[in-house]
Amino acid sequence: MGRRHTPLRFLVVEDEALLAMDLGMMIEDAGHHVVAEAGCLREVQGLDVGIAPDVAFVDLHLAEGSSGLDVCAHIKQNWGDAIIVFVTANPRKLRVDHPGAHGVIAKPFSRNGIMSALRYITEGICDPPPSASTPPDFTAFPALAATWKD
Amino acid sequence: MKQRDDWHLTGDIEHESGRGDPFAAAIRATRMPMVITDPRLPDNPIVFANEAFQNLTGYGREEIIGRNCRFLQGPETDEGAVATLREAIAGENAVQIDILNYRKDGSKFWNALYLSPTRGVDGDVQFFFASQLDVTDRIEAQRQITEQKEIVEVEVQKRTLALKEALQAKTLLLHEVDHRVKNNLTMIGSLLRLQSRQIGDPAISSKLDAMLERVDALATVHRRLYQSDDITRFDVGAFTANLVADVIGASGRTDIKVDADVEELEIPSSKASALGLIINELVTNAVKHAFANGRSGTLHVFARAIDGRAILRISDDGLGMPKADTLVDGLGRTLVARLSRQVGGTTSWHGATSGTTVTIDLPAGG
Repeated sequence: MGRRHTPLRFLVVEDEALLAMDLGMMIEDAGHHVVAEAGCLREVQGLDVGIAPDVAFVDLHLAEGSSGLDVCAHIKQNWGDAIIVFVTANPRKLRVDHPGAHGVIAKPFSRNGIMSALRYITEGICDPPPSASTPPDFTAFPALAATWKD
Repeated sequence: MKQRDDWHLTGDIEHESGRGDPFAAAIRATRMPMVITDPRLPDNPIVFANEAFQNLTGYGREEIIGRNCRFLQGPETDEGAVATLREAIAGENAVQIDILNYRKDGSKFWNALYLSPTRGVDGDVQFFFASQLDVTDRIEAQRQITEQKEIVEVEVQKRTLALKEALQAKTLLLHEVDHRVKNNLTMIGSLLRLQSRQIGDPAISSKLDAMLERVDALATVHRRLYQSDDITRFDVGAFTANLVADVIGASGRTDIKVDADVEELEIPSSKASALGLIINELVTNAVKHAFANGRSGTLHVFARAIDGRAILRISDDGLGMPKADTLVDGLGRTLVARLSRQVGGTTSWHGATSGTTVTIDLPAGG
């Protein structure tokens, strides 16, 4: 994949309205765009393929009993270049080699934690490898570092 | 031949005879209940029973002589024990066995029976000699011990089960509470952030941001607690390193270097929230004030257990502390003082023109 440039295009998949708004605003504060928000798998499936997100923040437990893992599979199939980062209160339920997943941010998140993770992910996408070490609140999966070699 | 005569005398016992025979006299007089049976007579009847046997069983001599020993057995006598006896007699072997017998009045007693064949010179069995001992007390004590043991075991099992269930319920409850606290802390943080964006006044906005960082610090404490294996202990060293990395990472201040000398430093989790807030005040204060106006420098972080005390030190080489009260906003300073006292520790400030050092000293245990 070719190098991408800021502002990056973000997809936020989170069923808690407050958290979705908050994440969206922090993403905008960091200089990026939120191209779409969704609260469940059905809404993700209904998104225009043309939105082409660079990064997706995905909660594990979504509305309508749907799972972030299914959302991850959908994103991987439709937007294969997207960096998928789970944002969840259950980070231990994830395998580091889950197909399509690039990392996880644990809830409850802090502004500083999200901003550090955003900075790190942005550098990894636009100017890899990131200059800073991995932020403590962000767990990078091996798949993330693999994208830096492209 | 004398020996043989003696043997003959003893072997030929009649109830009215034997007087003057020392062996017979001894058997008659001993406190050990004894009988002799004659297997050569039909149904192996008792041919001699001493006084002690009569006292033990409550039967008179005339009721005993001529009967097979089985008349002492009763409804609760163990069939297996009876069979063992029968086999020993048929095989002409000695046998020792505890058997439940009945007295004349119907009362039961445990009989430690020893039975042995008595052989003549030709080697044939002439008599069976049987001694009895009332061991009801011993058997009863054993039975009671076994019974008590079973009762205790059942009780222990019940109690263990109840405790396991209680522990399971408590663990479930703890996880549920954890889950709700996590959700609520995340939502409170989000609400404050959303509000903060709506405020035009930079002074109010910065106060709200400081409050937001406190809530975030609590959220981080909570996350580290529920993710750790031992929820009773909190690694304040790792927390401090995490917080410093987050605050500086989010600020984008690549000109602030971090020099961390941090070891695992465990304190009771009951002190985690208070200490988390203290550290948050000190770290955010250093980044905001010591390195204000683009001043670069190094933030030194030290965390170690020394002589049973948790020592945390945060020092900067920034602008320094011209006047003690002006560096930290009023609430921050008050929070640090009050929370330090709450965790049983002290926080001391050492200001110089070339930076500030803050040391937190509290008991690591208890």
